Amino acid sequence: MKHNRFLISFLCLLFIILAGCTSENQTSNNSSEKNGDVLRLFNWNNYISQQTIERFEQTCQCRVTQDYYSDNEELLAKLAAGASGYDLLVPTGDAMDTLIRQGALSTLDKSQITHLKNIDPNYLNTEFDPGNHYSVPYAYTTTLIGFNREKLAELGLPAASWAIIFEPEYLQKIKGRITVLDSQRELMAAALKYLGYSANDTDEAHWQQAKELIIRAKPYWAAFSNTSYIRELAVGNLWVAHGYSNDMYQAALDAKKTGRQFTVEFVIPAEGAVLSLDSMVLHHSGHRPDLAHRFINFMLEGANSAELTNLTGSGNPNLAARPYIHPEIVANPAIFPDAALLHRLEMLHDINHTQRRLLSRIWTEIKLR
Amino acid sequence: MNKFRLTRWLISLPPTLFLLIFFVVPSLIMIVTSFRYPGEYGGLAPLTAPETPEAAATQGDSGLYGLTLEAYRFFFSDILYAEIFLKSFVVAAASTLICLIMAYPVAMLIAQSAKKYRNLMILLVVLPFASNFLIRIYAWMIILGPESAFSHLINSILQLFGFEPVMLLFSPFAVLVGTVYVHLPFMILPLYTNLEKHDPVLLDAAQDLGANRWQRFWLVTWPQSLPGVYSGAALVFIPVLGMFAIPDILGGTGDILIGNLIKDQFLGTRDWPFGSTLSIMLMLAVLGVTGLFTLLARPRTPK
Repeated sequence: MKHNRFLISFLCLLFIILAGCTSENQTSNNSSEKNGDVLRLFNWNNYISQQTIERFEQTCQCRVTQDYYSDNEELLAKLAAGASGYDLLVPTGDAMDTLIRQGALSTLDKSQITHLKNIDPNYLNTEFDPGNHYSVPYAYTTTLIGFNREKLAELGLPAASWAIIFEPEYLQKIKGRITVLDSQRELMAAALKYLGYSANDTDEAHWQQAKELIIRAKPYWAAFSNTSYIRELAVGNLWVAHGYSNDMYQAALDAKKTGRQFTVEFVIPAEGAVLSLDSMVLHHSGHRPDLAHRFINFMLEGANSAELTNLTGSGNPNLAARPYIHPEIVANPAIFPDAALLHRLEMLHDINHTQRRLLSRIWTEIKLR
Repeated sequence: MNKFRLTRWLISLPPTLFLLIFFVVPSLIMIVTSFRYPGEYGGLAPLTAPETPEAAATQGDSGLYGLTLEAYRFFFSDILYAEIFLKSFVVAAASTLICLIMAYPVAMLIAQSAKKYRNLMILLVVLPFASNFLIRIYAWMIILGPESAFSHLINSILQLFGFEPVMLLFSPFAVLVGTVYVHLPFMILPLYTNLEKHDPVLLDAAQDLGANRWQRFWLVTWPQSLPGVYSGAALVFIPVLGMFAIPDILGGTGDILIGNLIKDQFLGTRDWPFGSTLSIMLMLAVLGVTGLFTLLARPRTPK
């Protein structure tokens, strides 16, 4: 679930500028709502169904308020700037790792989370939170390849490999009709995976190799795009895009709804890809851990969890939710990868500041060359 | 005399305070930031070593404290950053030039129209500001998109002359279209303010002395309008230099400007010191350019 980066940047810069005022507002909000039965969620945009919220409000006889972020960086930046009073956050693995190490999260009381057994064990005990002391998986996306099925079939190109994004012999047939993500980590991960390394490889020599691969393929790409590819793929301007599974699902749905002559499909490349698992965690500034626990347990019920997947096409780690999810979503291996495919997915780790600086320089070079 | 001076002080106090609080203080913060180490989770590393291991963990201990020239060393260690500055200057200069060429006739037309229409025309020039900047840029995405009527028109003309079809969106051309479109009013307004004040008698005199249309423009109108040209140029050049949204939305794979790089340092890379270093370098460059324009725009006295 990563969205519109430059909009965020606007908001974030604004936020950093207004950090002082904002934190004040935040506190005043808290004091007015502290006494009522209010659960405060800090969630991704469009990452829960309105019906689910209403149903929870009825069961708990309380009110749910939500604030939204569109990017993990935005979440971290806002919390760092003093945003507080949130009971629940839904960060992705590496951001959660940062929050845990910062001591910003409270541990869960598992006796109150009886439905935890519904979660597929494959998504528990992640390297970021062994033993799930802080986190309960919520939903996930994979970073993969979306494509125009008819067009690629016509051109005789394979879609199930990163080669379609990096190999000039394929790219020359789709020049200017392909975009890749405008994300240092995601694009590097794809290149590293194609070269046979781990997505979390930090060896500088491997990064340089990946850089060469990217620079060689770049002339064929139309743009680096984080959101516009959804629409462009759905209207047929793009034939291939590197992007997130839930966005591809949206593009496929749009193309179908508008009755296009083609279908948009998406597939996890055989070399493996990035998995972004978002988890529910308790922020230490929350006032109602009791409601937060109830909410987590509520969201673990199959029917409630399934509503999110039916709405956004996100992956669902909840086994009890499967019967409630539209069958065509369950049948899609790009959203519900089998065990073998799951094995080839990797979650991104945070990198340290020297590595970040180096990667940023490589990225600048990629953009400039 | 004394009372007059006091009044002058009182009047200039609020703007001075404003500049002090919103320009000098942030600039100082930025300068200090550029000499520090980045924190492990973003932000800045502490100035002194944390006392307990727990504090070290929550603050993001990288084992580096205090002040450093590292960010500046990094900036000068690679020609890459100089290249980006150069590229941004070229894009800003090109946008300024195109704006000037397009704005001059418009400003002249408005200045020469009947007085009762002028305000309406100025209103039309600034009307686009009524809708949000991002929405206007997104609109260009649709206009320049490969399946748009405009793209089809351009490409069919190109094909008529035997050229390959081109992709308009996601190109340096699209970035220029965006920057020129957004900043054109900033060029028209100062030019109009200047041109409106010209005394038409001077043109009559030039005509009486035998100057043709071109000579009248180049020898009479143009030199008089230079202060307007310079202030318009500064109003276009400097914002374009720091622009990041337009290349992000309309640009292709190679369209990175200094603004994008700085934005990346604060968000994706979480490297505040290096972002501050880049901002300081950009500010020095902008100050240099502004200084140049101020020097040029100074009203010249004939003596």
